[in-house]
Amino acid sequence: MLESLQHLATGFTIAATIHNLFYCLMGTIVGTLIGVLPGIGPIAGIALLIPATFGLHPTSAIIMLAGIYYGAMYGGSTTSILLNVPGETASVITCIDGYQMAQKGRAGPALAICAIGSFIAGTIGLFGLVFLAPPLAQAALAFGPPEYFSLMVFGFVVLSNVTGASLLKALMMAIVGLIIGTIGLDPVTGDARFTFGSIYLLGGIEFVAVAIGLFGIGEVLINVEKPAGMLEQRVLIPRLRELYPTLRDIKRSIGPILRGAGIGFGVGLVPGPAPVIATYSSYMIERKISKTPDDFGKGAIEGVAGPESANNSACQAAFIPLFVLGIPFAPPTAILLGALLIHGVSPGPLMISLHPGLFWGVVASMYIGNFILLVLNLPFVPLFANILRIPKKILLPLIILFCITGMFTVNNSVFDIWVMLLLGGIGFLMRKWAYEGAPLLLALVLGPKLEVAFRQSLMISHGDFGFFFNRPISMAFLLATMIFLVIPLIRVIFKKTMKGGGRQ
Amino acid sequence: MLKKIMIGLLATFILLVSIPLQAAEFPTKEVQIIIPWAAGGATDLIFRALAATTGQYLGKAVVVVNKPGGGSAVGYTEGMKAQPDGYTLTSAVNPLTILPHQVKTAYTYKDFEPVINVVSDPSMFLLRSDSPWKSLKEFLDYAKKNPNMITVGNSGAGGGVHLVALAFEAATGVKFNHIPFSGGGPSVTAILGGHINAVSVSPPEGIEHVKAGKLKIIALFAEKRFEMFPDVPTVKEQGIDFVMGMWRGLVAPKGTPPDVIKKLHDAFKQGMDDPVFRKNAKDMVVNLHYLGPEAYGKLMASEHELYGKLLKEIKK
Amino acid sequence: MKRDEIIVGMVIFLFGAATALLSLRMPIGTFRMAGTGLFPLCLGILLMILSAAFVLKLFLQHKKIFTPKETIVKAPGTIKQIVLFVGTLGLATLFFNKLGYPLIAFLLIVALLRILGMKRWTWNILLSLVTAITSYFLFVQWLKIPLPKGWIGL
Repeated sequence: MLESLQHLATGFTIAATIHNLFYCLMGTIVGTLIGVLPGIGPIAGIALLIPATFGLHPTSAIIMLAGIYYGAMYGGSTTSILLNVPGETASVITCIDGYQMAQKGRAGPALAICAIGSFIAGTIGLFGLVFLAPPLAQAALAFGPPEYFSLMVFGFVVLSNVTGASLLKALMMAIVGLIIGTIGLDPVTGDARFTFGSIYLLGGIEFVAVAIGLFGIGEVLINVEKPAGMLEQRVLIPRLRELYPTLRDIKRSIGPILRGAGIGFGVGLVPGPAPVIATYSSYMIERKISKTPDDFGKGAIEGVAGPESANNSACQAAFIPLFVLGIPFAPPTAILLGALLIHGVSPGPLMISLHPGLFWGVVASMYIGNFILLVLNLPFVPLFANILRIPKKILLPLIILFCITGMFTVNNSVFDIWVMLLLGGIGFLMRKWAYEGAPLLLALVLGPKLEVAFRQSLMISHGDFGFFFNRPISMAFLLATMIFLVIPLIRVIFKKTMKGGGRQ
Repeated sequence: MLKKIMIGLLATFILLVSIPLQAAEFPTKEVQIIIPWAAGGATDLIFRALAATTGQYLGKAVVVVNKPGGGSAVGYTEGMKAQPDGYTLTSAVNPLTILPHQVKTAYTYKDFEPVINVVSDPSMFLLRSDSPWKSLKEFLDYAKKNPNMITVGNSGAGGGVHLVALAFEAATGVKFNHIPFSGGGPSVTAILGGHINAVSVSPPEGIEHVKAGKLKIIALFAEKRFEMFPDVPTVKEQGIDFVMGMWRGLVAPKGTPPDVIKKLHDAFKQGMDDPVFRKNAKDMVVNLHYLGPEAYGKLMASEHELYGKLLKEIKK
Repeated sequence: MKRDEIIVGMVIFLFGAATALLSLRMPIGTFRMAGTGLFPLCLGILLMILSAAFVLKLFLQHKKIFTPKETIVKAPGTIKQIVLFVGTLGLATLFFNKLGYPLIAFLLIVALLRILGMKRWTWNILLSLVTAITSYFLFVQWLKIPLPKGWIGL
């Protein structure tokens, strides 16, 4: 503990040089920018800037590239809140209440609480990174295929109906998401599934295309269908004193932020789609424990503060397996690994002892970077909130251009734009009949991993189903899933016998 | 009014599309390399580094464009369909000669002109350091006595290292239980956690853990030993004539003029010999292995045949 | 509205059925050694069951069900507007590679603004030009994203 603090102090002397501060600032600015633009996520951002770091000292290079990664997490929620366009997996949930807040003229508080929550959660995540990194990384290794399968089942069952609307509709959408997730090469046998001979479908459907389509394009189409008179309108314009959160907002958010940070950090250590599970879980928990659960989906600030914080601390936690094991659990850390390799630093069990200056310098720079981001983001809140002053007939074409450009940059593929437009049409219809997009997206992310883990487990165990139950972690998740399923059932039966029929 | 505008716009579209592109002397503009995978993988990094040094020798910039999707089919199809003028190259890696056997692709390696091979990495099997098998002989003896019991991870069904494992089975007459993972990272994680017995990888995957003493190389399918681990014998030294690995080079669409290929080859060769690139490659722990167009073409042809044979055996 | 909801439920049922049928063409295997088609087959069947339950529930329900508010708006002219809007998006995507990014950006904004009722041409063109140029510099020049250059070669 004390030793870590000493190392951290050394790290600060490295990170606080003018030179490194400059690169930290550059990284966080670029990160915020690419986070704000949909489509261009941290992956593309880091890849584009790797060649620019060739001449730099490795520490400066990694400080800058890491800044892009966590900077993008700050910016990621902006378009979700303002335009209902999620730029990446992590900001899907933010769309639900964030966009509703913006529609009610409370875009300012929503954006501000994102920045504040991200800062607090990022700092908590960093503390975890400094003091707990090595033991936690070892713990993460305990997750093999069966544990993974049980975790996915748990996540799937618990989080499917995250918004609490019609359960049957949510389940149907989740299954549709799972089916979409099976498109492409079967990861176990390598055979093609539902590709209809198209090479573009071999790699599966791009998640970002589905996310931007269902939410962003769908929302635009809903607006276009409205009569011309309504397009002249603007969204409710916020008054100046409503640009920042009130004391009441802060009070309501502090619990969700802290809980979100905890959830995010825990989930972030597990390989796989951490941002999705973390943000969905946080939203689910906040809705469950809220005294006014009916506010959720209509612009509850807790529904923005919790998931955004969870996302940021998950992002910090993702550095642990990268630095300690040298194994990236998520695509953005995979590209950071590449950047480290190209600079002659191989992350792994030896990295902290072989390159202490780099490791502690980068960690210290993240503290500084988080602070820079807060200072950088808060003044932008009024600027961004004012985007909503633009009349809709001008705003909608701009959103479309934004979505198309962003979509193309993900894979440099026009096919993805087609997918996005198609899903936009489907999203439009779903909106009309009150089907939720969130369960579909969750299933799309978890589905393929669930299937692979299931089949891997049975291959390892030679077809023995007991494998899932005689491993403690796996068993625990399955048990929790069972309890979760049984309790409401008992409650329903209980209610029915008492009252003779429930609400729905 | 609106109708008129739409017609006008459509007319503009058609007019613009019908004007052909003008070709000119080589190289008058930047050359692009298509990477059929997402940014950040080994292939992507190697060619980004090579592009950075080659530009100065070519006289024009070399840019990397990622076209991921379809397990590399999307990128190769685009590379194949590109104008054969030398301005669009594609990075050719083992899957170019594997995927066409698995699914119907629009291309095979024959639709490309080889330009240069840059990297060849030997494949290897890794075990946990605390595993019961101390030598290759013990490992194989156990495998022989207990067919289908040793779990061997790979980075994806039908992928390069999976086929290496299958070929090794055939060469030694044993049977493993192959477990596919989605990439080299997850398969290495699984062996570190002890969820599988062995893993088939290609550097730089797992090298750090070998250095740290967590994993050990039980079988090295190389011609000669690693400089980094001089104590680890190759399987060839131990009496099994088996050498396999991953190669990464550059190809151009079929029909690219020979003088353009030569210009490109010379520039990339110089880029490869550039000390900056050599240092980058060393840092990334990749094994530079130069092959000219002819030798590279032969390599791809023999690999194509080998993978075809192996994949037929899995289907049985 | 109830009738429409039932139709939507049936469409979902058909989607499930199609999935199940298509996956029957793949090797199914057993649960112990799952084949390629097993997982999608289960999903297809599950979706059929759920959507059947959904439709059945609607039939049995006598009360008026919840009507989403978006469906209420039905003004003449909006159908035409949305068809034009979507058609323009399709055209822009179709010619994305051929015409190149800056030109597509400009033409797309011009067309969409017009469709959404931007009457003044001067304003329309000016706004589109500014947008196209700004996004070109942001994405192509500064972020160096390989967007298609197309015919104009920018």
